[in-house]
Amino acid sequence: MSEVPVFFLHGLAYAGLLFLVSAGLTLVFGMMNVLNFAHAAMYMLGAYFSFTLLRATGQFWLCLLVCPLFLFIIGALVERFLLRRVHTYGHLHELLLTFGLAYIMTELVKLIWGNFPLAVNIGGFLGQTVEFFGMIYPIYRIFIFGCAVIVGLSMAAILYKTRLGIILRAAVNDSEMVNALGFDVPLVFTGVFAFGAALSGLAGVIAGPLLTTYPGMAHEILIDAFVVIVVGGFGSLGGAVVASLLIGELQSFGVLLFPKLSLALVYLLMAAVLIIKPSGLFGEKQ
Amino acid sequence: METKKCICGFLAAALMFALPAFAAAQGTIKIGGTEPLSGTFKDIGERYLEGVQYAAKVINESGGLLGKKVEVVPIDSELKPDVATRKAQALILKDEVKFFCGGTGSSVGAAMAQLAEKENVIMFTYGMDAASMTGEKCNKNFFRPGGSTDGRSFALAQMIAKKGYKAVGIIGQDYSFGHEAVAAFKKKIAQISPSTKIVAEIFHPAGTKDYAPYASQLIAAKPDVIFTPNWGNDLTLLLKQGRPLGMKQKVFSYYINDEVMISSLGDDSLIVGDMGAEIYMLNIPTAKNKEFIEKFHKDKGYYPTWLRGKSYIATMFWAAAVKKAGTTDVAAVIRAWEGLSYDGPAGLWTMRACDHQAQVPYWAVEIVKENKFFKHAFEGPVTEIPAKDVEVPCAETGCKMGK
Repeated sequence: MSEVPVFFLHGLAYAGLLFLVSAGLTLVFGMMNVLNFAHAAMYMLGAYFSFTLLRATGQFWLCLLVCPLFLFIIGALVERFLLRRVHTYGHLHELLLTFGLAYIMTELVKLIWGNFPLAVNIGGFLGQTVEFFGMIYPIYRIFIFGCAVIVGLSMAAILYKTRLGIILRAAVNDSEMVNALGFDVPLVFTGVFAFGAALSGLAGVIAGPLLTTYPGMAHEILIDAFVVIVVGGFGSLGGAVVASLLIGELQSFGVLLFPKLSLALVYLLMAAVLIIKPSGLFGEKQ
Repeated sequence: METKKCICGFLAAALMFALPAFAAAQGTIKIGGTEPLSGTFKDIGERYLEGVQYAAKVINESGGLLGKKVEVVPIDSELKPDVATRKAQALILKDEVKFFCGGTGSSVGAAMAQLAEKENVIMFTYGMDAASMTGEKCNKNFFRPGGSTDGRSFALAQMIAKKGYKAVGIIGQDYSFGHEAVAAFKKKIAQISPSTKIVAEIFHPAGTKDYAPYASQLIAAKPDVIFTPNWGNDLTLLLKQGRPLGMKQKVFSYYINDEVMISSLGDDSLIVGDMGAEIYMLNIPTAKNKEFIEKFHKDKGYYPTWLRGKSYIATMFWAAAVKKAGTTDVAAVIRAWEGLSYDGPAGLWTMRACDHQAQVPYWAVEIVKENKFFKHAFEGPVTEIPAKDVEVPCAETGCKMGK
């Protein structure tokens, strides 16, 4: 089985992408109880911003920094002026709002950039391949996994090791009390939503060179992101990590071992998890 | 307010009744173009429709068809069979449209073919390639002045056999189109080059995002060349993700000369050297093609690349059939089209009576970096694969045409 290490790496790289896409989604759900249907559209915006910035400057690293910032601002505006207004009416309104936003963003992208695939070419160091243990492997795929690890670790550090994290977690549990203690809870929630949007933007920037930048990309990734957070458990960051790795490796080795079942395997996993533990691997009981 | 509304309503109603009457008085022949004009495949549908509309323009500028103006009515199929047939049915009832065409989605085509038979109108396609549509699903109201999965696979098998490759890796989309294409390829290669081995046969879901596991499997099988009927994003990602993993083999693909796909790769080195076979290409070296491209480019400012060229030629072929019939009577046009030949930009096309599949030459091409049409890589010189080399004999199509 000389293929095993290569397929393991394939799985890791795809798991990295899955985690990057689903981290923001599960964070926003865990903290705010909002299922953001526009998450994938924001991911697409990230990819398109990155395309334009890359064309203008040629600096991919700049895209990695600036595009999430754009999405942060968009996320903050959406939360402050739209989501907060419908919050009092309950989940259905939030769902409808983000659903509508996703449509608007997709149509805007078609208007501005056109309804055809765009080329995102990074070249340079990240476009090369490395050779180790007799394998040739694209650096970019390793880079994706590296980004996911960095993002995952920093999110965990912020949430569990900083004062900000304490406030965040407290605000989720008892927002009135935190408010009474003098913290601006609505601002905290704006920050969380904006951070989730920034994460989706980052995922879009990173996905650009691996996948195709086109208006259908949001729709394509949304299902995968949902599968990850359903399997991992809604709102659980650790769950998203484990589910991404499971699904990434399952897809990769599925192709190697059960080629006829490779697509179904992921859904079989989801079905199995839902039967045994309906709240997901790390989800809390509702 | 109420009166205003009333007047507006009346005017609108009057206009609705007046317009068709006006059109009829002028004498137009309407043709409904069923394409996805919204959604993911909008870009493909629009390019097809541009070819049909350009053909109508050319016909009208040279005096029209049977002295009447040809008018193209765009129908947004949304790539859904039920939507396409519902809208087409409305046009048949309201405007008495007798002719329909379309190029995207064999499922839409199959439904439109059924509708055409039921309502006794004509449907023709230039891009719905599933062989079965002029095979077991054929009917007398449906024509295919275009290619088919059989023709394409046969052409590519010939190219691979002629170059003497002995080991072929196959990768295709896991749905009826992919399976039909691969089956036809394997059948032909076994016939003409029995010593060629299929070392890998891999199917992946259409719209796969991570091609790395599939590419690694292909590479591990060590083929000389790769055959794939993949198109659009499924071809882009196979090349984009497969090449860096060490997939160095020449790829033989169905729709290699798609300028949108090539430009979306963003890196010519991923595709230069790959080969394909198509029924229309900009580089087809006929005088008629040169003239067509020049006029089209002068008029539109861009080139009639594959989709536009295919739909243009098919529409001109249809017009030739109507002209020969001398009437727009459906039965007469069907009779006139059967056996008719059209010598256009892509060589001589002949509509076979037994299955309504046009017998057309294919053109083999290798993608090269330098070309006179685009800054990115595109078609190199082309060679003709004669229609008789890729022919499926009437007896083998499975088509039983009702009278």
